[in-house]
Amino acid sequence: MKYTYVIKRILYSVFVFAVVITLNFFIPRIGVDDPAERYYPPQGNMSEIEYEIIKQVTRKQYGFHVSTWQQYTNYLEGLSRGDLGSSFRPGSPSVLGLILERLPWTLVLSVSTMLIGLITGVLFGVLAAVKRGRWQDTMLLNASTIMIALPSFFIALILSFYLGFELEVFPAYTDPNMVSSFSWALESIRRVAQNAALPVLSMVVGSVISYAQGTRNAVIAVTNEDFVLTARAKGLKQGTIRYKHILRNSMLPIVTSLGMSISGLIGGQVVIEQVFNWNGMGTLFLEANNSNDYPLMMGIMILLSGFTIVAILVTDLVYVLLDPRVTVGDKR
Amino acid sequence: MKKIRSIGAFIQRIWSHKQGKIGIIMVGFLVLVAVLAPLIAPYDPYDVSQRAAKGLPPSSHHLLGTSISTGQDIFSMLVYGTRVSLIVGVTSGVCIAFVGSILGVAAGYLGGFVDSIIMRIVDIMLVIPTLPLVIVLTNVLGRDFWIIILIFVALGWTGLARTIRSLVLVLKNSNYVKAAELAGASRWHVMVRHILPGTSHLLIMSTALSSAGIMVAEAGLSFLGLGDPTAISWGKMLADAQGGGALLFGAWWWILAPGLGIFLAVFSFMRLGIVMEEIANPRMKQTSSVYKIFKSLDSSYIADVFNSMDEYEQLGVTESAGGGETRETNA
Repeated sequence: MKYTYVIKRILYSVFVFAVVITLNFFIPRIGVDDPAERYYPPQGNMSEIEYEIIKQVTRKQYGFHVSTWQQYTNYLEGLSRGDLGSSFRPGSPSVLGLILERLPWTLVLSVSTMLIGLITGVLFGVLAAVKRGRWQDTMLLNASTIMIALPSFFIALILSFYLGFELEVFPAYTDPNMVSSFSWALESIRRVAQNAALPVLSMVVGSVISYAQGTRNAVIAVTNEDFVLTARAKGLKQGTIRYKHILRNSMLPIVTSLGMSISGLIGGQVVIEQVFNWNGMGTLFLEANNSNDYPLMMGIMILLSGFTIVAILVTDLVYVLLDPRVTVGDKR
Repeated sequence: MKKIRSIGAFIQRIWSHKQGKIGIIMVGFLVLVAVLAPLIAPYDPYDVSQRAAKGLPPSSHHLLGTSISTGQDIFSMLVYGTRVSLIVGVTSGVCIAFVGSILGVAAGYLGGFVDSIIMRIVDIMLVIPTLPLVIVLTNVLGRDFWIIILIFVALGWTGLARTIRSLVLVLKNSNYVKAAELAGASRWHVMVRHILPGTSHLLIMSTALSSAGIMVAEAGLSFLGLGDPTAISWGKMLADAQGGGALLFGAWWWILAPGLGIFLAVFSFMRLGIVMEEIANPRMKQTSSVYKIFKSLDSSYIADVFNSMDEYEQLGVTESAGGGETRETNA
C-alpha cells in the first residue's frame, strides 16, 4: 500500500510539472505579437526594409521564425536534454549557465537564514511552551503579531539605514566586487559574510519568530495528548517525557513548515535581494523581466516550480515515513 | 432583514471582544482617512514642483517632512497612500472570497469531474512561485490598478477554495442537507441556501486575512517598481525613498512613515481576522495560527494566508475530509 502511494505521488508530480512547463511557455507569450519587434524596437534612422531584415535576423537567431507550436516542441526537446535555451542578452549566454552562476549566492542567504531561523526558532519555541503563560510566552506572542504585519523589506530598509549608514557596522549595499573577486580564501569568505549580514538579519527576524510560534503550538498540542498523561501517570521522569514523548512527536508540523520553506529557498527573496542589490536569483529574475528576456524568465520559473514540486513531494514522503497513519485508509 | 440582523449580531460579537474592538476602530479610522484624504492632506501629494521644500525634516509645516528628490509632503502622500492600500486589499479580499467560495462549494458539493478539474488547477497553482508569476503577469498584462487586483484574485483563490471544499465535504453529509435533498430541493438551491451559509464564518475571516496579505503583497510589488506607476502607494514611497537617497542623507521620516502605514493597515486587518477566527472557532484561542501568514514577503505570501487556515482542518473540524491531492498528507 505504501509503494502504490509513493508511485502515485511521483507520477502525479510529473503530471503537474508538465502542465507547469506548458503554462510557463505560454504565459509570457500572451499579448506579444512579434517578439522581434519587442526585442528590437525600430531605431530612428532605419528604413522599412532595413528594419524588416533586422527583424528577420532576430527571429531566426532566437527561433521565432517557426510557428508557436514548433517553438513549443523545440523548447520541450531542449528541456529534455537539460537545455533551458539561450538568453536574449548580448552574446546569447545559456540560461542554465546564468542561473547556475547566481544560484550559490542566493543559497548563501537563504540557507543561512533557514538554519539560523530553524535552530533559534525551535529553541525559543520550546522555551515558550515550557514557560507557557509566563512572560517568555507572552513576549513571543506579541512579537509574532507585530512582526507578521511588518514586511521584511521594510525591516531590511530600517536595518540598512541604522546599521548600514548610521552606525556603519555592516555594508548597507552589497560590494559589487564581492562576486567577481571571490576565491576560497579566508579574507574573501569573511567579506561575503559581512555583506550577507544585513540581508540575512532582515529575513532571520521573521523566520525565527515563525518557527518559534510553530514549535510552541506544536509542543503545547502534544502536551495535551493522552499519551503524555499516561507517561506522567506511569511516573516517568519529567525529562524523559519532555524529550522522548513530547519533543519527538511535535517535530511533525515543524517538518512540514521546513518543507514549505525549502521550496522558497531559491525564489523567496526577490525583494530583499533588490534592497541590498545582492547578486542572486531574485535580481536575475528582475533583470530578465525588465529586459523582456523571456527564455531567462521561463528558465527561472521552471527551475523554481520544479524545485517546489520536489520539495512538496519529499515533504509528503518524509511525512509518510514519520507518521504511518497517513497512508491508512486506501481511498483518500 | 434577517440577514442584516445576523450580520449585526456578528459585528456585535466582535465589538464585545476587546481585541476586536481595537481592530474595528483601527479599520474604521483607516477607512475614514482614505475617504477624507483630500480634506486631511495639507498639501497636494502629486505636487513635485516644490524645489524650495526638498528634504525638510518633520516640523509644524510639514508634519512628516518632505522628500529629498521632489519636495513632496510625506504626510499628504501617506494619507493618499491609504486609498491604494485599502482599495487593492479589500477589493481583492472580497473578490477572492467570492471566487473561492463558488469554486470551493462547487468542487465539494458537485464532486466528480468538476471537483477533479478545480482541485488539479489548485495543485498546479500552488506549485508555481507566486511573486515571480505576479511579476510576469504584470509585465504581460500591464500595470494598471485594476489589472493588479485581477492578478491577485486570479492567484489568490486557490487556498480558500481548498479549505472551503473540505468544509463542504463535511456539511454535505449533515442531516439538514440530506433532508433538503430528500425533500426534492435542486442542487443549486442546496448549494446556495444550505451549504454556502455554513461556510460564511470562514469567508468573513478569510476576507480580512487575505486583504491584509494582499496589502503586503501590493506594497512589495510597488516597492519593486512594478505597481501602478501613477498611483501613490506606500510601497512606491519606500522605493522612492531608497532610490532618492533617504538612507544616505539620513531622511528617516521618509522611510518610517510609509512603513508605519503598511504596518497599521496590515495589523488592524489581521487583528480583525484573528478575532473572527477566535469567535468562529473558540477552541483556537490564543494559539493563533496567523503566525504563518506573513513570514515576510516570500513567494508564497498568498498561499500562506490560507495555509494558516489549514489548522482549521487539523483541529478536527473537517476530520473526514482531505484537502487537495498534494497536500492531503499535511492536513
